[in-house]
Order: sequence, then structure tokens, then C-alpha cells
Amino acid sequence: MKQRAGFLYTLPQILWLLVFFLAPLCIIIAYSFLKKGLYGGVEPQFSLEAYQAMANPSILMVAWRTLRISVIATILTILIALPCGYSIARSSNQAIRLFLVIVPFWTNFLVRIYAWIAILGNEGFINDIIRWVAPGSAGIQFLYNQWAVVLVLVYMYLPYAILPLFSTIDKFDFTLLDAARDLGATRFQSYTRVLLPNIRSGLVTAGLFTFVPIFGAYAVPLLIGGKDSYMLGNIIADQLTKTRNWPLASAISMTVTLSTTILVFLVALRKPKEQKWVFDADPSAAMSAAGGR
Amino acid sequence: MNRWLRRLVLNIAGFGMLAALILTGGCARSTDKTLYIFNWTYYTPDSVIQKFEKEYGVKVVYDTFASNEEMFAKLKAGGSSYDITFPSGDYVSIMKKENMLEKIDRSKLKNFANIDPEVLKLCDFDPGNEYSVPYYLGAAGVAVNTTKVQNYEKSWSIFERKDLANRMIMLDDMREVMGDALKYLGYSVNTTDQAQIDQARDLINNVWKPNLLKFDAEAFAKSFAAGEVWVAQGYAESIFAEVDKSRWGEVDFFIPKEGGPSYLDSMVILKNAKHKDLAYLFIDFIHRPEIYAEFCDYFGFPSTVNVPARALKKGEMWYRPEDLTACELKKDVGADLEKYNAAWQVIRVGK
Repeated sequence: MKQRAGFLYTLPQILWLLVFFLAPLCIIIAYSFLKKGLYGGVEPQFSLEAYQAMANPSILMVAWRTLRISVIATILTILIALPCGYSIARSSNQAIRLFLVIVPFWTNFLVRIYAWIAILGNEGFINDIIRWVAPGSAGIQFLYNQWAVVLVLVYMYLPYAILPLFSTIDKFDFTLLDAARDLGATRFQSYTRVLLPNIRSGLVTAGLFTFVPIFGAYAVPLLIGGKDSYMLGNIIADQLTKTRNWPLASAISMTVTLSTTILVFLVALRKPKEQKWVFDADPSAAMSAAGGR
Repeated sequence: MNRWLRRLVLNIAGFGMLAALILTGGCARSTDKTLYIFNWTYYTPDSVIQKFEKEYGVKVVYDTFASNEEMFAKLKAGGSSYDITFPSGDYVSIMKKENMLEKIDRSKLKNFANIDPEVLKLCDFDPGNEYSVPYYLGAAGVAVNTTKVQNYEKSWSIFERKDLANRMIMLDDMREVMGDALKYLGYSVNTTDQAQIDQARDLINNVWKPNLLKFDAEAFAKSFAAGEVWVAQGYAESIFAEVDKSRWGEVDFFIPKEGGPSYLDSMVILKNAKHKDLAYLFIDFIHRPEIYAEFCDYFGFPSTVNVPARALKKGEMWYRPEDLTACELKKDVGADLEKYNAAWQVIRVGK
């Protein structure tokens, strides 16, 4: 009886995922295997043209560029989020600090992108200062290149990395660091060999939470990027709304979804290894342990 | 057990309500007194809409799109209940072919007579204007910030100037930019000749692009107004909507002497429109001379389409009707669009 009740409770969630996630995904899969309509849309005729078109060198180049930008932005995000999460976890006024991390979320993300243009733009705040200090200089063009895209992406997704890192570091037993020091580890070693392995699940979550959305970024490269910042998200949008090639847009979306899903699975699968050396700090495991009545 | 049953009932009830919401949501918004317009961003002044609402005691819902392709894709996807939309010529013929348009009953449009016969002659995308009523004939041009750039030639060659590198922007619009390059090279904006398309591609990619900040169809006017760029290829109405009125004197807008692709946007009634009578009223309202003049004055347009409105216009014009003589109307190139797609992809992907 109890077993069946559990299923019924999850039914709304399952139906929700079926209707709003799996069904649209199936439509995308189907569209990617159809012939493109002359004026957008698809013809009901099987075709592999979209997948052949994906092998186009310019699309492969954009895919490579997107991967490179995503990896660099994710690494930078985690490097910044790690000390942030650590300091929040160790601070006495966690609530205020967490609040400060979340506050930017209340502002529309487009407004936050435009704020960067106001700060770093050719006529922005920093360039006003440069021209005031050095009259007659043209200023520096910070924006409209790949590094500007990386910068703003790191800014946008930083909270997604800080929050999971904080929640795992918060559960970490800090006396272990003292124990490591007592046993002869340097301060640096105590972090790399005791703290990092114990917060691995947080690192993995933070990495996925930043890498996956960055890989599909659209608005940031569009507004902050320049001629060299065309990413996969932009190609998908353009194929759909400008060049009228829906199957190609679907095929690229599929490939992106599939490769990120495989990535998530790979990361999830290789986690159990070495687990016996790690004091369990996985929030989901803790939650399921506490929730089992 | 009892609690379990109660929760189950609640769950099912909640779910039923959700399903009902989804099923009825689609048709809940249609009211008889509401006209649904799907139009370009910055294309009909709010004052005109308000006058229409007041005169006929109706409500207008005004949604916007940024490109023909976007409009077409959204209408094709079917999730809309729009009555009127404003496609460019090539898309009038496409939508006609796709059987998406309602045939226009000319007897309901007494102001149709105000339309310039010369403009009607251009409507070979819909011979005899069976399905479309011309709204506006114009072209994208080049806006220059004259406080930063003083000496320049009114030609597409402005994009060759290395001294303005990274201070110039062009639309992220394949047909527009390719059309500019084709015209500059002396070809038709509707060419399907691969060699000519390749030549235009190389001109943009090797000569113009190195000097451009980016290709941008969404925020180009904002960038221009903020001073991020000094030279912008784009639409006058977008530029002047973003630049503060007190600074209009600093902006020079011109159609390059070589000409470029021009557009003739039309008003069409969609086949599945629920408020066709209101749609006719609106189209006829737009072509009242005083209303058309108000529309043109608001955007600084010349009255290219409506003849009696020309005498009523008071405001400044960003370009003159004769500036359009070197321009050429964009037409649907059908399957040859692939040639343009391929060329544009090379330009957009970059290094």
C-alpha cells in the first residue's frame, strides 16, 4: 500500500516532466530528422540533411569555440566561487552574506548585461575615467570580444556555483583541517588534500550548474560579444528565426542536449570511487537519509 | 489510510484544475472588441493606436517582432490569434502561397484611393493587391554621429574607413547587408548568381567586417544612442526612437548614393483572424491622410505611400522619397536563399 502511494505522489511531477520536457524534446528529435520547409517549418519526409549540414566546418568551429569559452568560464567561476563559499561557510553572519549573493537575481538578467555595457563600454564609466586621466586618448575597448563574454558569463553564473559550494563546505567538519595541520600538513596541503576531496560533490554540482547553461548561452554573446563571439546558442536561434532551417536548429539543439546529458551521467557515474575516504557531505544523500520515514 | 485518500483526492483535483487551465487558456483571451496587431518594433505610434481605440471604443493589443522570419515562424507555429500583421513584400508572397492570408475586400477600404499608384505598381509580390495593402515604402540607411565624424562620403564606402574601425556597426540581417554590398558592386539585391554573391561576401568579410564592431539587429540603435558606435547601418525609425530628441541635430541619416535594398511593408489580414471587421477599420484608419501624416511625422518618414498625406506633413524627414530611387525592392529568392545563407554563415562565424 505504502509503495503504491509513493508512486501516486510522484505522479504530478512525472506528468509535468512528460508534458513540458520529454514531449518537446521528442518534437525536437523528430524535427531534426525531417526535410526543411522552404519557408521555415518542416516537410513530412525523412532526411539526414540536418546532421550532414552540422559537419560544416563553420559550425564545427563555433562548437569548438563554444566549448572553449564554456570550459574557461566554468573554471574561472569555480576558482572565484570556492573562496566565496568557504568564507560564507566560516562567517558568523551567513544569512547576510548569502542574501548578498542572491540579491542580483532580483534584477532582470538583461538589465544586468546592460549594466556591464554602462561600466565597460566604449563610452562607459571606466573609459570616462581613462579619458579624464589621459585627455585626448581614445580609451580602451573592453567589450565586444570573447574575453568580455567570458567575464560577463562568469559574473552571471557565479551564484549558481557559490550556493552548492557553500552548502557542502558548510557541512564540512573544519576540525579536520586542524587535525591535518597537527599531522604535519601545510596550510595549503590541508586545503588541497582534506578540504577539496571532501567537498567534491559540491564542486561537481557547481561545475555542472555553470557549464551547462553557459554552453547554451545566447544573450551574453549577442550583446557583449563582437564579431568573434558567435556561439552555438546564437546559431540555433539564427537557424530558427533568420535562415529558416528548423531541422538544422533542432539537430544542433539535440546534439547540445545529448552531449550535456552524457556529461552529467559520466560525472554522476564516476562519483562512487574513493567515496570511502570522503566524509559524506552530499546534501542529496543527507536529505534522503533524513527523509526516509 | 484516510489521510492518504484525502491527499490523493486533492492531488487529482489539483491536477484536473491545471489541465482545465491549459485547455481553456488558449481561447480565453479573445474578446469581440479587441484587435490583435502583430507589428514591427517602432512602426505605429502609440498616439495613432490610442486615437483608433478612442474613436471606435475598442482595445488594441500590440505585439512586436524584429524580423519577417520571426513573425512568420511565430505565425506558422500557430500559437497566436493575431488579426493584422505587417510583412515585407517577399513575405507577402510567401504567406500568400502558404494560404495564410485573407483576401482583401476593397469595398471596405474607401481610403485605398489615397495610395500612390506608383507604389501599387511595385507590388509585384501581390499583383492587384488582392491580399495586401501597402503600409510604408522605405529603406535602411546609415546614421552618422556628426559630433564624432565630420568628413565622410554618403556611400557604402564609409565602411572601408580604417580610421573608424570598431566604431561602426551593421545589422545582423543577411539580406540587408548582402544587398548593400551587392548594390555597391553594381549588382541586383535579388541576384542568384553565385559569383556575384561570392564577390559581395568577400567584400563584406575582408573589407567591411574588419572595421565593424559587430553585426547587431537587436541593440544597434541603443549602441548608437549611447555613443558606443558612431556609424550605424540600420533603420531611421529605430535610431531616432533611441536618440534623445534634444540630440537629433547631431545625427545625419542618409541612404547611400549607390542605393540598397528597399522594403515595402504591407498590412495583411490573417486567414484565421477573429476580428476581421476591426482589421478593416484599422487599415482604413491608417490611410486617412491626417493619420498617415501623423505616423510619418512621428518617425521622420517621407510619406512614400499615401498621396494626400504629403501636403499635411509638418515634421522633419530623415530622407527624401527621391533618395530611394537608386534602391531596389527585396524579393523572395526562393530556394536560392541557401546561397545567401552559406555566404552569411562564413561572414558571421568569423575567426
